[in-house]
Amino acid sequence: MDKFARIDMGAAGGPKVTVGPLGEYAGLGGRAMTSLVVAAEVHPLAHPLGAENKLVIAPGMLSGTIGSMTGRLSVGCKSPLTGGIKESNAGGQAAQVLARLGYAAVVLEGKPVGDDVYKIVINAEGIKVVVDNSLKLMDNYPLVAKLRKEFGDKAAYMTIGSAGERMLLAASIACTDPELRPTRHCGRGGVGAVMGAKKIKAIILDDAGMKMRPAVDPDRFRDANRKFVEGLKKHPVTGEGLPAYGTNVLTNVLNEAGGYPTRNFKSGIFEGSASLSGEAQAELEIKRGGSATHGCHRGCVIQCSGIYNDKDGNYVTKQPEYETVWSHGGHCGISNLDTVAKLDYIDDNIGVDTIEMGVTIGIAMDAGLAEFGDDAAAIRLMEEVAKGTPLGRVLGCGAAITGKVFAVERVPVVKDQALPAYDPRAIQGIGVTYATTTQGADHTAGYAIATNILKVGGDVDPLKTEGQVELSRNLQIATAAIDSTGMCLFIAFAILDQPETFQALLDMLGGFYGINMTGDDVVALGKKVLLAERDFNSRAGFTKHHDRLPRFFYTEPIAPHNQTFMMKDEELDEVFNF
Amino acid sequence: MDHEAGEPDVAEQAPLRCRNVALRIMSDQLSIFFPLLQRGVRVQAEVGKPLGQFLSDQLGIPKEYVTGRITTIFMDNRPVDDLERSRIHEGSRVTLSAAMPGLVGATMRRSGFYAALRQGISHAEQGAELPSGQGTLTLKLFNLLLPELAPLILARGILLEQDELDALLNEFDAASRLGVASSYLCDREECGGTLVTVTVRDLPATPG
Repeated sequence: MDKFARIDMGAAGGPKVTVGPLGEYAGLGGRAMTSLVVAAEVHPLAHPLGAENKLVIAPGMLSGTIGSMTGRLSVGCKSPLTGGIKESNAGGQAAQVLARLGYAAVVLEGKPVGDDVYKIVINAEGIKVVVDNSLKLMDNYPLVAKLRKEFGDKAAYMTIGSAGERMLLAASIACTDPELRPTRHCGRGGVGAVMGAKKIKAIILDDAGMKMRPAVDPDRFRDANRKFVEGLKKHPVTGEGLPAYGTNVLTNVLNEAGGYPTRNFKSGIFEGSASLSGEAQAELEIKRGGSATHGCHRGCVIQCSGIYNDKDGNYVTKQPEYETVWSHGGHCGISNLDTVAKLDYIDDNIGVDTIEMGVTIGIAMDAGLAEFGDDAAAIRLMEEVAKGTPLGRVLGCGAAITGKVFAVERVPVVKDQALPAYDPRAIQGIGVTYATTTQGADHTAGYAIATNILKVGGDVDPLKTEGQVELSRNLQIATAAIDSTGMCLFIAFAILDQPETFQALLDMLGGFYGINMTGDDVVALGKKVLLAERDFNSRAGFTKHHDRLPRFFYTEPIAPHNQTFMMKDEELDEVFNF
Repeated sequence: MDHEAGEPDVAEQAPLRCRNVALRIMSDQLSIFFPLLQRGVRVQAEVGKPLGQFLSDQLGIPKEYVTGRITTIFMDNRPVDDLERSRIHEGSRVTLSAAMPGLVGATMRRSGFYAALRQGISHAEQGAELPSGQGTLTLKLFNLLLPELAPLILARGILLEQDELDALLNEFDAASRLGVASSYLCDREECGGTLVTVTVRDLPATPG
């Protein structure tokens, strides 16, 4: 991966492609690449949908190798949803293919004049940017089907649906999975709107003729990968729970903990949770001839995804994730998995973030546009977004805007990004991360672990309340580092419990690049990324007052625990004290 | 599905309030019980005892399985860390789960490193004297523990109301549905419901 490509969509005479060496960005991948490029090159006061914003696409440091779990693609920009820096990542095949083509980053710059839409083709011969107005307003599934006829079934596709073309703030970028379905999305923060603003409808990645990226020390790399895979397979989360039930295995547990935000964060327990559970979903999928065990990219050994069919055995969508089942399910008072699956399909097809859209539908219900629990109404509201009606445009711009338009008081967002599926009043520590992360309310920003191994900031006493600030800080640093490797974040569970598996990951990086990486190096990388993101946000106008949860979390106790969010502002302000 | 014969000479016993129903099924029918076990079933228990004792001694779950496999436990919606200090009481709701993904999954783990993140909702024994003796509590099983512990729990017996039992029996297809032969056998006045014991003919009761 020694190529750094820039595509200036606004160049005089038409889009201009420049490919050069990595220069100052050498050694970076994934989130480290996207965030450091955005922080260095995007004016913090730029309009996110304007020519000054850049969309940086970067595979991870180990993508395109024989390494397991290396298929995450990062996309970064100034977010049109939050107004701050954004890194959004997805599985699928795009990272592997882009890395094998030798690109550490593809940066989309500028903005074309006129109404033409473009497709970008990246293959062994180089990069071509081609007008293709036959793709206008196509949604992702028919769009990919059409592109496959032209480019075949060996390519990987990154596309935006009608939502991205309309520049809706919840718009995502879809990446195709191994079966060429547009089911893996860079979902959060409106990255699809930025791609739409630059009039790019599709990026076709074809690595025909290219080989797996070679390691500097192939034997060390192969040995480390073997140990890494062994570690993943023997761990009960990565080796059993996730393959059997997917992420939706969390529904029952969160509900039992009283932390399952129900009917727009009014309660922590949903009476219909068992019907939505990962256990119920897996059984239904298997019974209907789908699958409860499926990998989103080649090289995945955790296989937490699946295939969801209807009662007649016809494909509906990929297995909905926990966040999606919650946002379209319990958050809206809906307990029917078929409804959730249909909504997930609509999200994937038009290209929107399932968390943002599900939370928005719940806000719409609180506004009286529909009743909580009205499955048909939820589908109708999503269809408005799909059609691009005025109501649909409001909804498609996310929870914060919908809340303002309809004068809803209870709007669960931070930095205008919708909260995910864990109530911070029940799980105070996740609230610390929601409030302080550079990304807006984000459950994965402070997600990785190994804190007890990395010992970031020293040892933490997990029983002390002030430990929550320390933990959130450590977790955010570790996550930023893992996001830079291109590894799926779910490796985190095995690394938490098995130091030898964490060492295997370090040895993979070391064997591939011919270096010796330590926990301190991982920490340093994570800190570097977070400090760059924080600095960008500060220059974009964010202050400590943006690192807070919505007021109702502090004043409305949630059943069954009757707790409010109790962290003090001064404690939140300590998170980035490093 | 077979049924056991009822107890003889019912007329000679004192008026009783619960029945026993014994079912014998094959392992491929076990999943019929999973929705019920996820929602929670009442089981008989000696209350006032430590939760760890309930799991190992009363339910008969091997100690190493409790330690190694049941990594997430809730009691009355609160994550439990200390199995010896936490005590079951009449009407407790006990939920058993395997290891969970995600930061929040790790947060809920018994004595986990991230327990601080769930400040305020963790189970804390108040130290009050609890009544002891025979009682009932609600037990829920989640995810990997469902197929692994269901045979054991069902063999020990679960208490169902009549409508729950009817709904359960309706899940079996007509060819295997049985006519229930009731046997009256109860020496407590308060247990209520029907004690249903299930033997899975082709699986051991105790998890491996």
